Amino acid sequence: MHRAGYYILLFAVTSLLQIFFFNNLSLWSCFAPMVYPAFVLMLPLNASSIVVLLSGLVMGVVMDWGMGTAGLNTIAMLATAYQRRPVLNLTLGAEVVRDGGIPSMSRMGQHQFVQYLIIMMVLHCVAFFGFEAFTTSYFWYQFLRLVVSTLASILFVWLIMSLFTPKHASR
Amino acid sequence: MYRLLEFIRRSYVTLLFVVFEIIAIGIYSRSTYYTQATILARANALTGGLAGTITDIGGYFSLASENRALTARVAELEQRLSYYGGLVDTTATIDIAELQYEFMQARVVSSSINRARNFITINKGLRDGVMSGMAVLSPSGEAVGYILDCSERYSVAISILNTSFRTGCKIKGDGYSGSIEWNGGSPYEVTMRELSKYAQIEVGAEVVTTGVSHYFPSDKLIGRVESFELDESKTYYNAKVRLAADFSNLHNVILVKYIDREEVMGLEHGAQSRGY
Repeated sequence: MHRAGYYILLFAVTSLLQIFFFNNLSLWSCFAPMVYPAFVLMLPLNASSIVVLLSGLVMGVVMDWGMGTAGLNTIAMLATAYQRRPVLNLTLGAEVVRDGGIPSMSRMGQHQFVQYLIIMMVLHCVAFFGFEAFTTSYFWYQFLRLVVSTLASILFVWLIMSLFTPKHASR
Repeated sequence: MYRLLEFIRRSYVTLLFVVFEIIAIGIYSRSTYYTQATILARANALTGGLAGTITDIGGYFSLASENRALTARVAELEQRLSYYGGLVDTTATIDIAELQYEFMQARVVSSSINRARNFITINKGLRDGVMSGMAVLSPSGEAVGYILDCSERYSVAISILNTSFRTGCKIKGDGYSGSIEWNGGSPYEVTMRELSKYAQIEVGAEVVTTGVSHYFPSDKLIGRVESFELDESKTYYNAKVRLAADFSNLHNVILVKYIDREEVMGLEHGAQSRGY
């Protein structure tokens, strides 16, 4: 029950931050950070694949509704959620994943955590900006936008994950 | 049958993923800028209040610069008022075109410049008399976009910074018209296409609305020519235009209603449906 409340709070914080703050950041057209994938990234390591996929679906639909993007966030979020288990197995090893715990630097180790965060966010941003760019040309501009936004997203998601990692919750 | 069930049991997550992705890609590929504006308008019925509060807090810090812009605008309008006052004294006539529009102020609830399709949400909707097709201008009177969809209390406008946006334009004081579009790149720059090679174009020339699209009044400033060149066929100019409105600092807008829009469009549709 305690853990359900924690994830409901995480869902609310990441989605509200994205809709009301990051979507309205008008600093630079290349700067479009995505923080809501933090919710799926922080699901327990041993969460079943179907739970992760459905969590990604719900988050994607909510973001599409809040951002008016008609499926774009759902496409990217589903891809991220589906790839989570293989990425975790690759970076951490299947046995450690089976032991569970909330993904964090203390639980996974600094190197593995950074690897996991970067791979997942690159997957998400490539899916999102790749599909969005279908409607436009200007490859180099889109590429710059992908790189800048991916780096910013990694930074902000890392901040959120650090803030939301309980100090005693290594398992 | 057993093998099929076993296959489904082992790979149902992958099957679900593929099904969900196909549905999402199908919805997205069929969506237009209008679909997106409609979704935003419905979402704003629920989230608009909170977004408005957040914008109010942010807007508080830009009050000084907004006041300066408004003061400059008041001065400009005072000047125009004295001009029309002079016309009345000399029994001259007033341009009837000025009387075809109604103006209304609105506050920007949310807007973006970092997407391929950017929209602007404002805090006025159907109950305030806002309707789709109304022009959206900056407080200084520069073209910003036009209304696509409204809920009771909020409206969503397509921004010039939307790759689906198109409107007619011309060089100020010249008769030849072209088309304005945004390529998804810099939020300070748009492209003017298909302007006749006979147009009087030069760097720094003002690009304004033509007024024939039924969205914008004529002669509303869009931006200034930064560079231009003839296209491959040597018949049209394509030009880079520096936008006059600052989309990254847009807190208030002016809505413009073309009073005769429905009547004029009705006549045009009628003529088209009769095959003329």
